[in-house]
Amino acid sequence: MEIVGRIPRVLILYPYDERIAATTAAGEAVRTRLLDATNGKIDLFSEFLDLSRFPETKHVGRMAVYLSAKYADRRPDVVIALGEESARFISVNCKDLAEDARIVVAGFSRSTAEEIDLPKDVIGAFSEFHIVKTAEMARGLQPEARNLFIIGGSSEFDRSWLATARADLAAFSKDYETAYLTDLTIDEFTKRAAEFPIDSIVLALTIFKDRTGRNFIPREAIKQISKSASAPIYGPYPTYIDYGVVGGNVVTFESLGMTAANLALDAIAGKPISHRESPQTYVADARQLQRWGLSDKNLPPDTVLLFKEPTFWEQYWFVTVAALAVITLQGTVIAGLLIERRRRRAAEIESRRRLLEVVHLNQSATAGALSASIAHELNQPLGAIRSNAEAASVILRSARPDLDLIEQILVDIQDDDQRAHDVISRLRGLLKKRGEIDWQEFDLNDVASSAIRILRGEAERRGVEVSSNRASRKLPVRADRVHVQQVILNLAINGMDAMLDVGGTERRLTLETTLTKDSEVELSVSDTGRGVPDEQLASIFQPFYTTKPTGTGLGLSIARAIVETYGGKIWAANRPEGGAVFRVVLPLARTG
Amino acid sequence: MKQLEPVVHIVDDDQSFRTAVGRLLSASGYRVSLYESGDQFLTQSPDAEPGCVLLDLGLPGLSGLELQARLAEKAPLLAIVFLTGQGDVRTSVQAMKAGAEDFLEKPTPRDALLEAVERALRRCETRRLEQGRLHALRRRLANLTPREFEVFGLIVRGKLNKQIAHALGTSERTVKAHRHNVMEKLGAGSLAETVSIAERLGLVDATADPLRR
Repeated sequence: MEIVGRIPRVLILYPYDERIAATTAAGEAVRTRLLDATNGKIDLFSEFLDLSRFPETKHVGRMAVYLSAKYADRRPDVVIALGEESARFISVNCKDLAEDARIVVAGFSRSTAEEIDLPKDVIGAFSEFHIVKTAEMARGLQPEARNLFIIGGSSEFDRSWLATARADLAAFSKDYETAYLTDLTIDEFTKRAAEFPIDSIVLALTIFKDRTGRNFIPREAIKQISKSASAPIYGPYPTYIDYGVVGGNVVTFESLGMTAANLALDAIAGKPISHRESPQTYVADARQLQRWGLSDKNLPPDTVLLFKEPTFWEQYWFVTVAALAVITLQGTVIAGLLIERRRRRAAEIESRRRLLEVVHLNQSATAGALSASIAHELNQPLGAIRSNAEAASVILRSARPDLDLIEQILVDIQDDDQRAHDVISRLRGLLKKRGEIDWQEFDLNDVASSAIRILRGEAERRGVEVSSNRASRKLPVRADRVHVQQVILNLAINGMDAMLDVGGTERRLTLETTLTKDSEVELSVSDTGRGVPDEQLASIFQPFYTTKPTGTGLGLSIARAIVETYGGKIWAANRPEGGAVFRVVLPLARTG
Repeated sequence: MKQLEPVVHIVDDDQSFRTAVGRLLSASGYRVSLYESGDQFLTQSPDAEPGCVLLDLGLPGLSGLELQARLAEKAPLLAIVFLTGQGDVRTSVQAMKAGAEDFLEKPTPRDALLEAVERALRRCETRRLEQGRLHALRRRLANLTPREFEVFGLIVRGKLNKQIAHALGTSERTVKAHRHNVMEKLGAGSLAETVSIAERLGLVDATADPLRR
């Protein structure tokens, strides 16, 4: 056979309809093997002859005419006939349906083939039953067994099977107390089965009829017997599996389909082909192994173990692998995020440290700018203390010292000492260096007041009138108090600088605190200076941007950095009545 | 003269400080008067009394330097001692040029304070005496007749009797008599003394000749 210029065509004939599992399974095995072997470069056709439902000769004739006409222009190169009926059909109709095609039949024994009287060029993939192999399998599982029972029915087929088995098992049975159970009723089979010694091997052949002539589907009879059996039963048919047998040496549908397909492939390739025997497979039912306490380790190699209770891993391997993959992936993502977080935290800490340093420099600069007024504020109480002390010493040296006055002087000295101490602690608060942000909740009004106290001396020195408008309620804010104070000082000093060339009575600095929304507080610092040119309103917060000859250009940029650190905003505007106003908005602390 | 005992005026907005300094000076035997602002001092202080002012340089409202300028017109006799909590070269030079007696830094030791107050009071006394002498001279000047005043003006310009007689269209003898009267009324014993008196009263001006009006 030679196929030139086209892909080969294979027709698979099913004897029944598509519901019959045995032929359908074998057909699927054929299809799978053919498609795999040719990488899909093959045309497969399937025809269901439906001969179990339409066994009439007329139907067979119609099918033959129909198929001959259907495949007239596409004659198959190979026809695979599954089962005995298909084999008969193709043997008769080969000429019309598939002249020149190679015919492969499959699914019955060589002896059946002889009965059908197949044409010479039809090649078979035959299924043979080797009862000895099944017996050997049983011996492997039950090495301690001493008894052997062989069960068979009373039909002609049953009897011939028994005869064959007796011959095949002649050697094997020598090692056992052997008994052939035949010519029994189904009840007798069941009764005897219940009396098997535990060290028995039971081989079931077929029971199409019992002694009374009652018909059985063999596996149904085997099922009934196995229910009461007191020893394991083995059988040579795959159909017995799930009907109470432990297992046996069988030809599976897959094996059958594979063998038929391989013959077809060889035929397509132009190789000579001849009859083959479908390889047998050992199959075992794991549930029965468990029932009889047999170990699957003693099964022949390559045994197909069916109904094995899957282990957790086997049952859930996909879910487990998927879950593990998800967990691993999550772990990786989490680890990545953690590393990222650490990096970001390190960067945040670094930038915060820088901010703290810059703020501290800013604090020192503020202290420097305020040094003249601070010196004044400090010298005032110190001068008073000195003069009071000297006055007291003069009074005490007089003839009649006024002790009441001395007492008043001492009280005043204590008060002035406290005043000096207050100035020093304000200065310390102003210069306090932070290694870390000291988060605390405080009233913005209090910080505004303390900033005003620090600035009062400087404002007096510069002839600036400072006033404040406090919100009537508390304005709790969460931040570092010293930092917020620094923002106010920067804005206030900035405002006072802006009023340097304004007439003395016109220099007014106003601090105002308000609750703007439910969630925000605002602090504004307004001056009566020249205001900020509109085009500079945004850029004045840039670092090193300054309009003052002595300015560093850092005060406002630091103020912005601080405000943003605490989640706030800062901006500048010009007031309609003249001068500039700087506004700071901070989030209201929730507990307040 | 009880009413002429000098008063030390202390002007400082810091109540505690002015009270303390007031106590010290009071215990040291001075009359003391306290003010919290320059305005209060200008409205409440008596003009003519002798004394001195301890003035805070950094006053709110009317500043120390502004008050100094106002006092130069209103009470020129009062010597001013500035007190400051913040040393500032520029401001102190300005204050001294405007006639401040001293410039002290807070806190001031008692000795330095008393010394400065003492010196300021002496300066005030000097000014007061000088002012008294001028007042006396002015009273004598007022006794001159218009003719004698004219002759006095020409004498202190160094004019000879003959030139004066010619200028006034009178005789040299008449001029001599006027000249005698002038020196007698002003209490001057010589021409040099007469010229000195004219100078002290501000009647001799190098740029303007009062007789050539």
